Amino acid sequence: MQKLLLTIDKISTFIGHTFSWFIVALTLLISWEVFSRYALDNPHAWAFDVMIMFYGTLFMMAGAYTLSVNGHVRGDVLYGFFRPRTQAILDLTLYILFFIPGVVALVWAGYYYAADSWRINEHSNITAEGPPIYPFKTIIPMAGGILLIQGIVEIIRCIICIKEGEWPSRTADVQEVDVDKLKEMVHVKDEDIQQLDKFVIQQEHGK
Amino acid sequence: MKIRRELWFGFSLMALILLTIVIFMPWSNMSSGHLGLLMLALIVVGIMLGFPTAFTLMGMGVFFAWLAYRSVNPDLAMRQVLDLFVQRSYGVMSNDVLIAVPLFVFMGYLVERAALIDKLFRALHLATARVPGSLAVATIVTCAIFATATGIVGAVVTLMGLLAFPAMLKAGYNVKVSAGAVTAGGCLGILIPPSVLLIVYGATAGVSVVQLYAGAFFPGIMLAGLYLAYVIVLAKWRPELMPPLPEEQRHVPLPAVAQRLSQRGKHALAGLFSAVRSSPPDVSKRTVLGQLFVSLTPLFAVVALLGMMWHLATVPVIEVNTAGLGLTTGSSADTKDEASTGLEAPPAESGGLSEPPAESTATPSSGVAEPPKEEAKPEAAAPPVTSTPAGSKATAGAPVAESKAPDATVAAVAPARLPTPDWLWITLCISVVVLGIVYFLWTWERLEVFKMLLTSFFPLALLILAVLGSIVFGLATPTEAAAVGAFGGFLLAIAYRFIEHWRSVPKGKPKSAAIGSSIKELGSILKDSSFLTAKTSAMVCWLFIGSAIFSAAFALLGGQELVEKWVLSLDMTPIQFMILAQFIIFILGWPLEWTEIIVIFMPIFIPLLPHFNIDPLFFGLLVALNLQTAFLSPPVAMAAFYLKGVAPPHVTLNQIFAGMMPFMAIQVIALVLLYVFPGIGLWLPHTLYK
Repeated sequence: MQKLLLTIDKISTFIGHTFSWFIVALTLLISWEVFSRYALDNPHAWAFDVMIMFYGTLFMMAGAYTLSVNGHVRGDVLYGFFRPRTQAILDLTLYILFFIPGVVALVWAGYYYAADSWRINEHSNITAEGPPIYPFKTIIPMAGGILLIQGIVEIIRCIICIKEGEWPSRTADVQEVDVDKLKEMVHVKDEDIQQLDKFVIQQEHGK
Repeated sequence: MKIRRELWFGFSLMALILLTIVIFMPWSNMSSGHLGLLMLALIVVGIMLGFPTAFTLMGMGVFFAWLAYRSVNPDLAMRQVLDLFVQRSYGVMSNDVLIAVPLFVFMGYLVERAALIDKLFRALHLATARVPGSLAVATIVTCAIFATATGIVGAVVTLMGLLAFPAMLKAGYNVKVSAGAVTAGGCLGILIPPSVLLIVYGATAGVSVVQLYAGAFFPGIMLAGLYLAYVIVLAKWRPELMPPLPEEQRHVPLPAVAQRLSQRGKHALAGLFSAVRSSPPDVSKRTVLGQLFVSLTPLFAVVALLGMMWHLATVPVIEVNTAGLGLTTGSSADTKDEASTGLEAPPAESGGLSEPPAESTATPSSGVAEPPKEEAKPEAAAPPVTSTPAGSKATAGAPVAESKAPDATVAAVAPARLPTPDWLWITLCISVVVLGIVYFLWTWERLEVFKMLLTSFFPLALLILAVLGSIVFGLATPTEAAAVGAFGGFLLAIAYRFIEHWRSVPKGKPKSAAIGSSIKELGSILKDSSFLTAKTSAMVCWLFIGSAIFSAAFALLGGQELVEKWVLSLDMTPIQFMILAQFIIFILGWPLEWTEIIVIFMPIFIPLLPHFNIDPLFFGLLVALNLQTAFLSPPVAMAAFYLKGVAPPHVTLNQIFAGMMPFMAIQVIALVLLYVFPGIGLWLPHTLYK
């Protein structure tokens, strides 16, 4: 079971990682467009549409990945203080109550939305000869679908946690605040921090 | 069962909300508006339960939107909800304001990973060594600059907790004051533009991000200034909290050349000039010239700036109407303002400056101050042409003007430059005096400190000013500026990583190894930054998708009308309303994070503003300032936990919280100041855009 969960995690992460390269593409595209407009005096009409599509695809497809690494913002007033089992019970209830209806609605609605767009061969109307927009709209059901699968994985995680009393492990991923990496970056070692303690204690005694 | 204190706090808050609902809901005759309010109260409870907020919003929004439609037409309800939901989601996907979020986040991660913060802190620490409370001052300045460029609170607080916090403890600084300086400083990044918070507010409230950036600039500087003033006054008043640094910590190590030359006298400039004439046998002329060039960079920069300003101020009228709008309005105001309008010119010129670090990588020669030096060159070359007086100016100006204005009559007038305005002369005098003082005090130690600043402080400051300047002066949209900024951040990372690898190659080994290892490291930097960017933007933007359907449901149910009716029935004055609104946001900042507050609650406040004649721009600035407190207020004070994570074990959370309190008080003072003198925030956007 755990193996299956981790595999699906890996798939979500792989998709997320792949699409996160869009940010590099987006940066380069816009930088080039700015350069092309100001320096070469050659703006491109399609640039704006493509920028929007890159941005939309980037964050939509990263949704499941973010869920798989527990990256969506939570209100952490109480949650952190609960025991894992309580956390899991709460999560399980709310996944079924909020997540499943919300995301199913997104996939369902997105499917018809994209299908309509394909049927009429929709093109962007921001500029006169806009690029086709139906692939971009297809992203909605796709991203929703992956998110739904990842959500089911999370639900199974909750059930396992309720049974076993602790959260099943996740695969490691880059952290925003990776303390060890940051320590390495500024060349600080744990011993240094330990040694600092004497200054703190000294100060406490000084009072 | 023993329940923790924090749990009590949360549960009682939740119970309070639920109780209020039960008591005040007119259960017998519920209108759909009441359902909306019920939804609002439930969402607060829902968020506090700790489920990912985006999906709480989504689920609740879909359900309540269905309720709203069902009351009108049960048959069509499901269809309508789905249509509404997908259209709202698509609106977020194709939002041309939010597109700047991933780009700015990406820029932040890249700058953070360029690993220049320790250099920056060391340079500022030495530069401020004589100021009372110098380490705390250096900490806050470092935070302000670095946090502004990166905008990632957690990373900045952690890094400063690793760098500045130990330094302050070792110097005998009080634990609380040190903790306060690190945490408060680290949060400045979300206020001082370019910040993601302002984009999110702009996208939610429909306020121009450009104006928000222009408006938040001075309040941000003011807040940083207030922190600094507090620290300095405290250090003067109670020196035992922040003892002055011992001599050895203030000492600036001089390189061999400087030591050799400093025997001739303390003054660096005089020493260098004499060395150019007759250099000592063991010092090469090239080094001396290099040092001299570094010493003269401030002069070059000022000359370039003045030349630029002179050019902008005196170009023929046709040009002034379009390009120099800010400057012409400035010339009608009083002299002091004029000087400052003039001083804002640099961003215009620094628009191109995000590029030069590229040159430094292309020509990675030995010098420490290489990147900025390269920067100065093209500028330094430019001004002599524009600022040469009379004769050459007329000839140089003529072809340009003619080519721009082919119309015969205009061309006849165009070549004549406008007379140089008075304020430019005043600026010139001031700069000459300032440069005079600077060069009078230019000792060898100061030259070293300046060199350190040149490699850490100025590139970062230039990047920020270039991004901000091009946005504020309308040269680029926030999206474009963010993209170019991210590109600049990457170049910065390339430059710093490459220099470090280049230096770490042991003597005798081929230097080419540095290229391979830095490419490898840059690859991993790029990879990590993209992944983190994807996660952060997914987090923010999915929250928007959730809130899109949620706020639609709230409006459909008529909750908005009910709130409006209720607020208007209270018959408040605008001031009372403002205080109430800010107070609510302040309170919400305790349990919630800024993203949730803005995304969920701003759509409720914003429609109320016109009733009280409050400018949404001004409201946004107050909110941004107010949300600074959200980072420092327990129990969800993220900053405190990040610091605790890297602090020595005997530093308690309570100590950190206690240290943050004075800074929170300063934030409230800043909020009041901004409210009493709205000009602090509104002057710049009004001068530029109205």
